Amino acid sequence: MIEISNMSKWYGDFQVLKDITEEIKPGQTVVVCGPSGSGKSTLLRCINGLEPFQEGQIIVDGVSVGDPSTNLYKLRTEIGMVFQRFELYPHMTAIQNITLAPIKVRSKPKKEAEDKAMELLQRVGIPEKAHEFPANLSGGQQQRVAIARSLAMEPKIMMFDEPTSALDPEMIKEVLDVMIALSKGGMTMIVVTHEMGFAREVSDEIIFMDEGMIVERGSDISFFQNPKNPRTKEFLDKILL
Amino acid sequence: MDWAVIPRNLHFLLGGLVLTFELAAFSLAGGFLLGILMGLGRLSSRKWIYYSATLYVNFFRSLPLILVIFWFYFMVPFIIGRPLGDFFSAIVAFIAFEASYFAEIFRGGIQSIPQGQVMAAYSTGLGYFSTMRHIVLPQALRNMVPTIVTQCVIIFQDTSLAYVIGLKEFLRRTSLVDARELRSLELYLFAGLVYLIFCSIGTIASRRLEKRQVQIRR
Ligand SMILES: Nc1ncnc2c1ncn2[C@@H]1O[C@H](COP(=O)(O)OP(=O)(O)O)[C@@H](O)[C@H]1O
Ligand SMILES: [Mg+2]
Repeated sequence: MIEISNMSKWYGDFQVLKDITEEIKPGQTVVVCGPSGSGKSTLLRCINGLEPFQEGQIIVDGVSVGDPSTNLYKLRTEIGMVFQRFELYPHMTAIQNITLAPIKVRSKPKKEAEDKAMELLQRVGIPEKAHEFPANLSGGQQQRVAIARSLAMEPKIMMFDEPTSALDPEMIKEVLDVMIALSKGGMTMIVVTHEMGFAREVSDEIIFMDEGMIVERGSDISFFQNPKNPRTKEFLDKILL
Repeated sequence: MDWAVIPRNLHFLLGGLVLTFELAAFSLAGGFLLGILMGLGRLSSRKWIYYSATLYVNFFRSLPLILVIFWFYFMVPFIIGRPLGDFFSAIVAFIAFEASYFAEIFRGGIQSIPQGQVMAAYSTGLGYFSTMRHIVLPQALRNMVPTIVTQCVIIFQDTSLAYVIGLKEFLRRTSLVDARELRSLELYLFAGLVYLIFCSIGTIASRRLEKRQVQIRR
């Protein structure tokens, strides 16, 4: 589904991603962790073409992201993205947030888009909030609306960039539960998170990034039990306290 | 003092006020739209768009309005081979000039919207124009309303400069009446009062909107 080979990216002179190689098969959930500034967000943005990269290749569902002839707008409809700070559109209600892209990009009739949106809100557990503005929702509810907004485009892949790290502890679970259900339902997912409980439960692979490189990878058990890299161990000790 | 000069010429003066409002309305509408385009141009990642828009904005912002009005009045007929007409050339000059100010207002407003909003929109497959139209501009405009209202007040005052090319707007008509009636004091006090009233309405509206926004943000 996603094949990244020998990909490198620079911001000016600063190399932010170094020789990244990673393959994600359909239906897999890959968890990405690593210290702040290690390039996790940048990696996600390269996968859906929000940021250009300079070397190597990324193939998403058979389409080469770096190829100048690729229609990035079409590619992005296949890849949902959920952000740390939710990024709901504050001037629109929950349901308007969800239906905007299906109506404008897929030219769905409004009614059909709204029916689908209600179904998604049901799925994330807050159908009663359909007509609320984001400012009137809790963080956990906003993030669930944001997930529904991404799902409304019926993407083949979902990417999450620290989806729970801006949430109060009591709201983390409600968001993770939605993500776990998605993963178990067969969605292909890349999740940047430090929620190791989530990683244990659903991840097929965990990769650890540091200074723009993937320095450790493994299925969960090997990853937690005997990290090969001292930086990984140090990092895990910190977050697994 | 002979205040009777005002009612005696009121009809004529109000005709000028209508023209003043027309000038202001066209300048506002045209300057606003062209200003959006120029503001977007100032934020473009395409070099040639960026430099064209920047050149335009800096050019008009460094000229006095009166010069721009003269230019369009004298130079455009010279270039296109026929006169534009007072009203039309004034409108074009105002639009060109005000657009450069609106461009900077828009640029600031657009830059005040977090980049994450744009990324969220792009990540659902929305294109540049849909993202601007549905996500960025509605939020930016809301932030800019007080500044835009203030700019409207400025435009309203600026239109008085159209008298230099003989347009009979409000201030020009006031001076015509004065030439006939020799009642400068009364007439110009009256003109001042009229400008004061309309501009105060704008200024108060702008203050109110600003206050309301502060409350909404809380
Ligand atoms: N637009 C940008 N321009 C320049 N440097 C950037 C930009 N975005 C991120 N960086 C830098 O790239 C590095 C990786 O950032 P990021 O991908 O956000 O890391 P992470 O998500 O792992 O915290 C950081 O050092 C950050 O300062
Ligand atoms: Mg990040």
